[in-house]
Amino acid sequence: MKKSLIALAAAALLGSTTLAFADDTKVGILMDITGPIASFIPPLQNAANLAITQVNAQGGLLDGKAVAVYGDTTGSAQGSVDAVGKLVNIENVPIIMGALMSGTTISAAEAVSIPAGVVQISPTATSPAITGIKDNDLLFRVVPSDNYQGEVLAKMVLAEGLKKVAVTYVNNDYGVGIGRTFIDAYKKLGGEVAVEVKHEEKKNSYRSELAALAKGGAEALVVVAYAGDSGGTIVKQAIEGGLFTRFIGTDGLRDEALIKQVGADALKTSFFSSPTSPADNPAQKTLHDEFNAAYKDGADKAFVDQTYDATFMALLAIEKAGSADRTKMAAALRAIGSGKGEKIGPGEWAKAKQLIKDGKDITYTGAGGAYVFDAAGDVTGYIGKFVVDGDKYKQTAVMQ
Amino acid sequence: MEWTGLFFYLVSFLIASGIYAILCLALNIQWGMGGLFNAGIAGFFAVGAYASAIMTTAPSDKHLGGFGMPVPVGLVAAAVLAGLAGWAVAKICVRLKSDYLAMASIGIAEILRLVIVNAERVTNGSLGIAGIPRPFDGWVQGRAADLLFLGFVWVIVAAAYVVSQRLHDSPWGRTLRAIRDNEAAARAAGKDVERFRLQTFVIGCAIMGVAGGLTAHEFKFLSPAATEPLMVTFLVWVMLMAGGSGNNKGAIAGGLGIWAIWSMTEILTNQLLPPEWITRSSYIRILLIGLLLQFVLQKFRSGLIPEASPPIRFKGD
Repeated sequence: MKKSLIALAAAALLGSTTLAFADDTKVGILMDITGPIASFIPPLQNAANLAITQVNAQGGLLDGKAVAVYGDTTGSAQGSVDAVGKLVNIENVPIIMGALMSGTTISAAEAVSIPAGVVQISPTATSPAITGIKDNDLLFRVVPSDNYQGEVLAKMVLAEGLKKVAVTYVNNDYGVGIGRTFIDAYKKLGGEVAVEVKHEEKKNSYRSELAALAKGGAEALVVVAYAGDSGGTIVKQAIEGGLFTRFIGTDGLRDEALIKQVGADALKTSFFSSPTSPADNPAQKTLHDEFNAAYKDGADKAFVDQTYDATFMALLAIEKAGSADRTKMAAALRAIGSGKGEKIGPGEWAKAKQLIKDGKDITYTGAGGAYVFDAAGDVTGYIGKFVVDGDKYKQTAVMQ
Repeated sequence: MEWTGLFFYLVSFLIASGIYAILCLALNIQWGMGGLFNAGIAGFFAVGAYASAIMTTAPSDKHLGGFGMPVPVGLVAAAVLAGLAGWAVAKICVRLKSDYLAMASIGIAEILRLVIVNAERVTNGSLGIAGIPRPFDGWVQGRAADLLFLGFVWVIVAAAYVVSQRLHDSPWGRTLRAIRDNEAAARAAGKDVERFRLQTFVIGCAIMGVAGGLTAHEFKFLSPAATEPLMVTFLVWVMLMAGGSGNNKGAIAGGLGIWAIWSMTEILTNQLLPPEWITRSSYIRILLIGLLLQFVLQKFRSGLIPEASPPIRFKGD
């Protein structure tokens, strides 16, 4: 046992010196690769790798190449702290892209990244708790907080003329985060929540929850849940029971699977909110074309845009800082996420590198829009309004 | 690689494995000495974690408390509450034979976890508790704080070891082993089997609660993602089996050894696999962990450090 441990350690030591050349710069990529969201990950790994490949094809990072080093959180807090510890201490990365889930992101940041002074930029962690963390300006994200989507959704619902709705949300950080903020904002703006029911995931029947929801005489049902899980089942059973005809969903429900499950006709009057890009964003098309050219398909999968953008911004931050010095990363990241200077889009690495060399300011405008960080390292982003159009969704409005 | 980096990796590795060592010691009291098949470690761990977090955080309107107490108070609360939970469970289940106790304890642990997710007024549910302090928080900042916390964790490991060792060598420990190996004989010798089992279960659960509390302070943020049965219950069982069930040194060795396999395989797969394999490396690592665990469990059937009978002492010795 001891021998094999020593062998392990020795192999790791040797390995670390053989792989990367002296001028190469490592970038930490922390993802929940195995574990509960494993099915989301492959396109996101491709998105991160695409950013790295583009950088290396267009002049490289600093004086060498960019090298991605992955850490797998295994979807648990223990695994996340362990994985980020290896990125920070063993791989010695200057900046980390990730993690994806809110729980693993916060644990990694609190226990390792913040004490070690390493910037972490998450593409998908939406928990409102991230805003309040005392992070010494080290924790960023490129996706709006759930609070934001909840507030925008409240405005959207009232703009449709709906004054009285029933609300149900799934009992996890996603559902509770958006559900609660929606209810608070909706009431504050003058709406009335007839009934509010929290539900558990992975049940076969939500008929008793629906019976309670149908009692208050609401005009529509707001569902904050995933289409592949409780959300789809709730909509289907509400239609079957004739309890609701109009549904309002969030990005979790805006899934082609829902249309397949209940049919487009049943969703004619329904609408959905989802983080999106500004209307007709050419940057998004650029990215999707390059992504599909490299990996055949998958560019429209959830959070591909955000993951690519966060990785590209992490790389830009290193280039902007001029070295792999950890202490300079936060300022560099803020500089490229300030909204000021020459605009850089997805894949425009050579241009960015030249501008930085000339001492000009740049700002990144990605597939998910422009990212301007506020004092807490959050972005406001864009929330789109989607309706069903055939077997797909169509964006009809963008709110900011 | 930088040597300071390696050093701090070792520090964080020892913090995590130290907490696992405490869990292994606790399970060793229950299973190794008492023969109680507790498959609900995650539940008692969670009770302890939330107890300590709520006691020590600054007042918040999101969850119960916080009461802003010092960390040691939080850990005592963790031990007391987890022990109480263990007592309640033991009162109902401890008479069950080992496999039935396993089933009952899995169920109860899941109930505890679901209660925690749903008791939002108390625990803030799935959104979790933020801003949990570490001991000596005001004194040092940054990475140096990890060193102090490492010391803190291993002082508790040492304390748990001394306590378990005393229990193991005492007449109480001998009685437990008698009950474990032959319940009828122990009963015939006039031992109150139920009472001994109850005590064993409560002591073990209280120590598991302390380990939960330490985890909350390590992460400084606690959400249900930290109490997954895979990482808490099942991994601890593997550690104790590999280390040596019935032996306290073996329990600590198992915690260190298995966590080394768990943690260091990622360095291995990251460094040695060619870059084209990068998207597969995490799965290869999980496969590697499974293979290594198989190897350890097959090669060391009774653990790295097998159980040994305690010395028999006579009066005046």
